[in-house]
Amino acid sequence: MVNERAIHGIWSGTISFSLVAIPVQLVKAVEPGRVSFRLLHDKDYSPLARRMFCPREEAMVPPEEIIRGYEIGPGKYLTVTDEELESVSPERSRTIEIIDFIDLAEVDSVYFDHPYYLIPAKGGEKAYTLLAEVLFRTHKAGLAKFVLHEREYPVLLKSTEGALALITLHYHEEILGAEDISPPEAEADAAEKSLIKTSIQKMLADFDPRKYADARRQRIIDLLKKKAKEQGEVEAPAAAEEAGEGPADLIAALEESMRRVKQQ
Amino acid sequence: MSRKLVEIAGKRLSLANLEKDLYPSFGFTKAQILEYYRRMAPFILPHLKDRALTFKRYPEGVDGDFFFEKRCPGHRPGWVKTAEVRQDDGGLRTVCLVNDLETLIWVGNLASLELHVPLARAATPETPDFLVFDLDPGEPAGILDCARVALILKDLLGNLQLAGYAKTSGQKGLHVYVPLNRPETTFTDTKTFTKAVAEIMEKNYPDLVTAKMAREYRQGRVFINWSQNDGAKTMISVYSLRAREKPYVSCPLAWGELEKLAGQGDPARLHVLTAEAVSRAEKQGDLFREVLAAKQRLPHL
Repeated sequence: MVNERAIHGIWSGTISFSLVAIPVQLVKAVEPGRVSFRLLHDKDYSPLARRMFCPREEAMVPPEEIIRGYEIGPGKYLTVTDEELESVSPERSRTIEIIDFIDLAEVDSVYFDHPYYLIPAKGGEKAYTLLAEVLFRTHKAGLAKFVLHEREYPVLLKSTEGALALITLHYHEEILGAEDISPPEAEADAAEKSLIKTSIQKMLADFDPRKYADARRQRIIDLLKKKAKEQGEVEAPAAAEEAGEGPADLIAALEESMRRVKQQ
Repeated sequence: MSRKLVEIAGKRLSLANLEKDLYPSFGFTKAQILEYYRRMAPFILPHLKDRALTFKRYPEGVDGDFFFEKRCPGHRPGWVKTAEVRQDDGGLRTVCLVNDLETLIWVGNLASLELHVPLARAATPETPDFLVFDLDPGEPAGILDCARVALILKDLLGNLQLAGYAKTSGQKGLHVYVPLNRPETTFTDTKTFTKAVAEIMEKNYPDLVTAKMAREYRQGRVFINWSQNDGAKTMISVYSLRAREKPYVSCPLAWGELEKLAGQGDPARLHVLTAEAVSRAEKQGDLFREVLAAKQRLPHL
């Protein structure tokens, strides 16, 4: 699908550091390939809708009566409006200001959140290529702060196959400490150590992401194709299928009109 | 993969795979599709304007897989106009509005051959601007039977002082549109009205018409699908291409013409290809103009 994509971005601005400014556009680097399903009522295939339900009133609540509350204790909330949330949202970034250049290897991949590509805008091609090249050769990455969709993220600028990628990072406080999950110290004997070492060496390969396709997604798509062919689709009913009583005046006017049509 | 940069109204667009044949059994390339939409832009744009577009994309051509997309893609150019519409689940969805030539060409470049739009504008989602009789023939009934039903509908509506306009669906059926263009119209009104009409047609022409969706009634009859008059439904836009073996178009036909063509008894005459759609529009103008303009009131509602 990549080739169908217009090369226009979700954000445009400049990368800047010291005296360099490179005009760029930001585009998505991944499109999640999930196959999504609608939920249907099994007796007549009506598509189902989600509604907000108030268990106290045992009634559906219309959207205009729904507000946000932050739970501060059992049954206690602070209410927050959309306007209030907006007032504390950071302003849109115009620039990606690189604060530091760091060793790429220093960033634990557990911090990587979401990847994007940067593409050079008019006049930025040369500086862009240069930056991508230098980052690639030196295994360095730029660290910057960046606001996207009303959230400020620490981001990493790295080189990827001759282009620049921007990866939003998780904040430190979002990362669950590994100390909670690493096992308590245990002595391994020399034989065990060397077994693990040689196993790893034997299985050493180059990373080729093309080798790993989303097999479940493909199997779902194959299943759907097979069902389309063998079983065919089901159809949701029209709302209120029962032969209807329209308004009496309308029915009478239509009867009269029909009588005249048939006389013609 | 080949790309071609074009500039429309100062907006730059990178068009991909122009030489790709998207109707392989007929021979109609992406370039020809974009040229069709470019030439038809003055006629189709008013009918797409301010309405939430549903994409139906055929990246591998009409024989390949297609996908529906209601959401405006995140990779859209910054100048594509969008609106936020309420979804069934109460959430908001960002949709594309095809309001200008550059957006129409961008949409075509995504291999969205078929352009589907709702009966209401995005800003007034509860107000249908027109109502629709979607005439869908059940085999062995065909487009000639639809023409018969459409012509009866025209007379029936005429007796109620309502003007209707017919177009081919570009598939097997016909659509009859009745302009309303009144802010007080609701989908409850249009659904009640079209259902009552469908049922009276069924009652008077039981061998020709059914108002019921269930398959067992539709065989050999024309199903008047009144349930399309719903805020959640879309119709194929007038002048849109269809993804069939040949590039058929959902094309307006004047009543006199429909009567004449149907009278000749040749169903093929009622299927309009791109070249004919272009020459008709350029000669006759937009026969669907009144659908967006005429103000009509539904009686007895």
